[in-house]
Amino acid sequence: MRFYIAVFLLFFILKVNAQSYELGKVTIEELQEKVNKTDTTAPAAILFKKGKTYFSYNEQTGFLANHVYEFRIKIYKKEGLSWATQKVSYYVGYENLRDDKAAFSDVATYNLENGKIVKTKLNSEGNFKEKVNKYWNVASITLPNVKEGSVIEFKYTLKSENIVRLPDFEFQYEIPVNYFEYRSEIPEFFIYKTLLVGTFKPEMSGDIGQIKQVYASEYKQINTLYSGKDVPALKKENFIDNIDNYKGSIQNELELKRFPNKPVVNYTKTWEGLAVSTYKDANLIRELTDRGYFEDDLKKIIADKSSPRKRLDTIFKFVQERMNWNKKKGYYVDKGVKKAYEEKTGNTAEINLLLIAMLKAAQIQVHPVLVSTIENGIPLFPNRTVFNYLIAAAEIDGEKILLDATNKFTVPNILPLNVLNWKGRLIRENGTSEEVELIPTKPSMIVNSVSASIVPESAKLEGVLSLQKTDYKALDFRESFANMTNESHIENIESQYKGLEIEEYKAEIKNLSKPVYEKVTFSAANAYDIIGGKLIINPLVFFAYKNNPFKLEKRQMPIYFGYPEQRRFNLFLQIPQGYKVESLPSPIRIVMEDKAASYTMNLTADENQIQIKVIQEITKAIFAVDDYDMIRDFFDKIIEIQNQKIILKKA
Amino acid sequence: MKSLYYTFIFLLFTLFSYAQKAEYSILTIADSLKENANAVVRLDQMDIVIVSQRSMNMKSQRVVTVLNEKGLNHIEAYQHYDKKTSIKNIEAVVYNSLGGEIKKIKRKDFRDQSAVSGSTLFSDSRVVFLDYTPVTYPFTIVYTCEVETSNTAFIPQWAFLSGYYASVEKSVLNVTFPNNLGFKKKEFQFSGYNIKKQEETDTKLSYTAVNIAAQKREDYSPSSSDLFPRVMMGLEKFHLEGVDGNAATWEAFGKWYSDNILNGTTELPEETKTKIKALVGNEKDPIKKAKIIYDFVQKKSRYVSIQVGIGGWKPMLASDVDRLGYGDCKALSNYTKALLEAVDVPSYNTILYGDPYNKSSIESDFVSMQGNHMILAIPSGNDYVWLECTSQDDPFGYQGTFTDDRNVLVVKPEGGQIVRTKIYEDIGNIQKDKGSYSIDENGNFSGALSIVSEGSQYSQRTRVEHLQPTEKEKHYKNHWENINNLKLEKISLNNDKENIRFTEDVQLSATSYGAVSGNKMIFVVNSFNQTDGSVKRIRNRKNPFEIQRGYFDTDEIEINLPTGFNIEFIPSNYELKGKFGEYKTEIIKKDNNKLLYKRSMFLNKGKYSNKEYDEYRLFMEQVSRNDNAKIILTKN
Repeated sequence: MRFYIAVFLLFFILKVNAQSYELGKVTIEELQEKVNKTDTTAPAAILFKKGKTYFSYNEQTGFLANHVYEFRIKIYKKEGLSWATQKVSYYVGYENLRDDKAAFSDVATYNLENGKIVKTKLNSEGNFKEKVNKYWNVASITLPNVKEGSVIEFKYTLKSENIVRLPDFEFQYEIPVNYFEYRSEIPEFFIYKTLLVGTFKPEMSGDIGQIKQVYASEYKQINTLYSGKDVPALKKENFIDNIDNYKGSIQNELELKRFPNKPVVNYTKTWEGLAVSTYKDANLIRELTDRGYFEDDLKKIIADKSSPRKRLDTIFKFVQERMNWNKKKGYYVDKGVKKAYEEKTGNTAEINLLLIAMLKAAQIQVHPVLVSTIENGIPLFPNRTVFNYLIAAAEIDGEKILLDATNKFTVPNILPLNVLNWKGRLIRENGTSEEVELIPTKPSMIVNSVSASIVPESAKLEGVLSLQKTDYKALDFRESFANMTNESHIENIESQYKGLEIEEYKAEIKNLSKPVYEKVTFSAANAYDIIGGKLIINPLVFFAYKNNPFKLEKRQMPIYFGYPEQRRFNLFLQIPQGYKVESLPSPIRIVMEDKAASYTMNLTADENQIQIKVIQEITKAIFAVDDYDMIRDFFDKIIEIQNQKIILKKA
Repeated sequence: MKSLYYTFIFLLFTLFSYAQKAEYSILTIADSLKENANAVVRLDQMDIVIVSQRSMNMKSQRVVTVLNEKGLNHIEAYQHYDKKTSIKNIEAVVYNSLGGEIKKIKRKDFRDQSAVSGSTLFSDSRVVFLDYTPVTYPFTIVYTCEVETSNTAFIPQWAFLSGYYASVEKSVLNVTFPNNLGFKKKEFQFSGYNIKKQEETDTKLSYTAVNIAAQKREDYSPSSSDLFPRVMMGLEKFHLEGVDGNAATWEAFGKWYSDNILNGTTELPEETKTKIKALVGNEKDPIKKAKIIYDFVQKKSRYVSIQVGIGGWKPMLASDVDRLGYGDCKALSNYTKALLEAVDVPSYNTILYGDPYNKSSIESDFVSMQGNHMILAIPSGNDYVWLECTSQDDPFGYQGTFTDDRNVLVVKPEGGQIVRTKIYEDIGNIQKDKGSYSIDENGNFSGALSIVSEGSQYSQRTRVEHLQPTEKEKHYKNHWENINNLKLEKISLNNDKENIRFTEDVQLSATSYGAVSGNKMIFVVNSFNQTDGSVKRIRNRKNPFEIQRGYFDTDEIEINLPTGFNIEFIPSNYELKGKFGEYKTEIIKKDNNKLLYKRSMFLNKGKYSNKEYDEYRLFMEQVSRNDNAKIILTKN
């Protein structure tokens, strides 16, 4: 079947810079450039990235989205040579659509040789296609003749029948981007919601084009152009949730399909719409009302449980122990809840929908909550792809209890750490929905206590140490160390607190409803110095921070702690016979400006013992990037305080 | 009649699919095998049938009881394949702790995926693997796989114990082979294990091992291939990707490799030859010529790994590398060789194990295809200069920690030869610190330091040269993590590749380095070079331990004390000598406000017994304690 498209251009005049952003037009100046003008340390820079999305039409298969990308990259240093290898992953795992297709073209390297531009084209030997698995293929190229100073160019085209979520147009990388533009040409039948991610704001302009097709009716096209200059490099930092939340990109998600003479298809644009469509698309009603398969089991376990809270705890534990997560996320069931129940394995949706179904059957009010996990980024506007996970929210006596039974170490109201991301969306059968706070306000605690004697004869500190962890600190510990032998636990503590030798170890780890509790008898070398007959002791002995976790002077992204936390240290140190206190650091309290973090140290002493109490609290899960200096100073101050000494002298 | 028939079928089916395998019950596992074990390998059997020089069939059966989640990686239910290696059959059956069957997993339920790993851009190798979500622990999995290949160059070595934290109830190896292919084998570390050779004839070899306890991983252990029992096997007449080969002796193997794999790969375009000759000019000395060429290759090329078919073994043509400017270790070594040839400098492809963690050697008395890396050897007197051609930065002839001090195979046209690569002596692995610091009356610190590194310490420290500014800042702040609130004022780096010496000049400052308590100030004397003395205490250590590389650090630091303070205490001079090394510190009082701190630390490389580990720990603890020695000042 043949078809013709004639395009009548009615573009507004787009202001295009005098500089050439066309492939093939590399200049001598670009080849001669030794460093990037805005970032002189950059190993490479993207001189330009151009993207264009347009639709083509085929009567048999309908609309197809074409995405064309053009790059020019300058390599300044050897460390930038890795940019000469490029990979593009494309999806081939659709159930109802044909595979995506990707291909590189116009690939060439430019070098300056004896003052002349020499172009080396890529031929087939540097172009690869690979089937990674049944969902993904990768197209890759490696460019010829690339060295320090080279400029490389390439283009790739991605064709996809998936028009619901267009590929994100990224314009921020680990290297600077001198110029970018992204043009989308969308037929009027499709309305996309556009989201700009990151702190860099592109310029935008738009126009309307007219498309005439011989075999289809004529239609309008909405053209939008985004562009920007000098986008700074964005590099990985510690204490970060997900760098993609901050990296500059343009996202497009289908909102509405409106073909003439056909009903409008709404791809949800309100949270309510999302609740309705999720119930429908994910078949939640069916998955939640089929109860026959678990009824007998349920009766058995809740027979003697009269209070709703006890029923909830029992059912949660039952599902958590019975079901085994296959590490697949999602809020759609894969094989269905019933089959998952029988096989005892399932994805997130299957396990937590089972939990919901059982709780409902036990007369507990409960709803699904859609969540975007940390890896999936922040759900900024309502659509189908922002969420990737499903948990449950029960309500007993007006109190909301969040539940996730996929993890073997969670308890009611404690969720896996990657679920603590932004806000969840509770959805009800009646189409209403509600925002749910996922991040707890209650701080998770670490309480470390020491009761010990200073023994100058052996230069050691000997006594009992107990370590207690609650809520998320306990979860974190259990996820990493739950199945370890006592011997490994001992080695862990010993390597965490240098100089400590453990004689006896006891622990309470298994009971998930209780804090993690470890108790050891120890002797510690290096806990204090004996200098000139005096004992010089760190108030926090081996607990003191060794250095500031925030080392860098500057920061680009917000600081993520995950959840509020409180650390307490209670130490009782017996003063040895024949010694007395010469000096003690003064008690001190430091508080960050907005009280988001505080540190309090109290010391008291009598003839026999010194008591040290420290409370360190961080009340927020995430801090704005502007708070960085404050947080770094806060930790600097803590370390300075921890460095002050207790001095004992001979009596 | 009819209904009876169906019942019969049904019964049979039931019996079959819910078969109870009593031998897989966990109740029969001896307690000694559960100690330190996350999994118990009940049976690990490999039946290798070498049909001919060009055909080999391998059947493996692995029965593993997984005790907990950490034991999952001991199932090892995966198989690589490519154009020359096909999987005839692969499946798994899961049993519960009593030996009752839970699930059957057929080939179609295994996942099939490309086996391209991190640094490789493309390879035609693929892997089929099991992705099973356990429903309960412990459980037992029976994995069987049959593979057929025409490549007989690599008969997989048999490890009776394949990893840490898993014990083995029974391990069986059966190999049959024609008597005319020159089958050979070598046994390693059998002593102390219950391994029986069941049969050894000119066509058959078989072993059975029973009851091997799980091993704990311990720091500073030699690599597991030097600890655990294993058998290496090979054929004198083998086949590789369409080529017959010979490995009777290293000479023969080297000759075969030269003639069949390397031959014809070093042709260069005339234009390039002319260019390279012009570049070398009138230089006569072969080593000096080689330096010029090495520099040329480093500037022109980059490392890209592409492994397809025989290309996994055969270098890309030198003319292609010349045109494209990239290649893997074989391609770049061979290209350098071709350029050297053009200016009449002989050089040889050298096969070895590149490994920065263990100095893995080619097993010199076992002639076979070994190694994972290639470098180039240039004869120089009675010795060789070794060139790492994948690096754009390494100084000429420098081997760092990736290829030093190990046996390698030098492939000469007339045959192969085993040679030891360069040994970096402990005393030459230098870090020389020279500098000064001042403390003011508030305990604030400012200082300047020059660090000179040589030998194997050169390779560890030059990395900083390529770091981005924030990474560099992080690097130094981690390096001096004993100095809190550190600010880096100025960093200048000088990489002297000619003398293989790296110099870092750093100016730094910090607030509150000296802790002020009342009228006293306390600070650690050794601010710049704290030994990382964290040698973990290991109870009942079983393995010997190894210090791979020794070093020699010296520090000479001038310390300027604040005015208005008296020295209340100054650490006394200290010396520690033992089999692990020597450590010495000295403080010389220059005048009232000036001290000179001298420190030296020499660590021996060596292999030591498990018993000596605690001694080493205490040695390092003493060093670390003394590195923390403090000065006390009192305000006048």
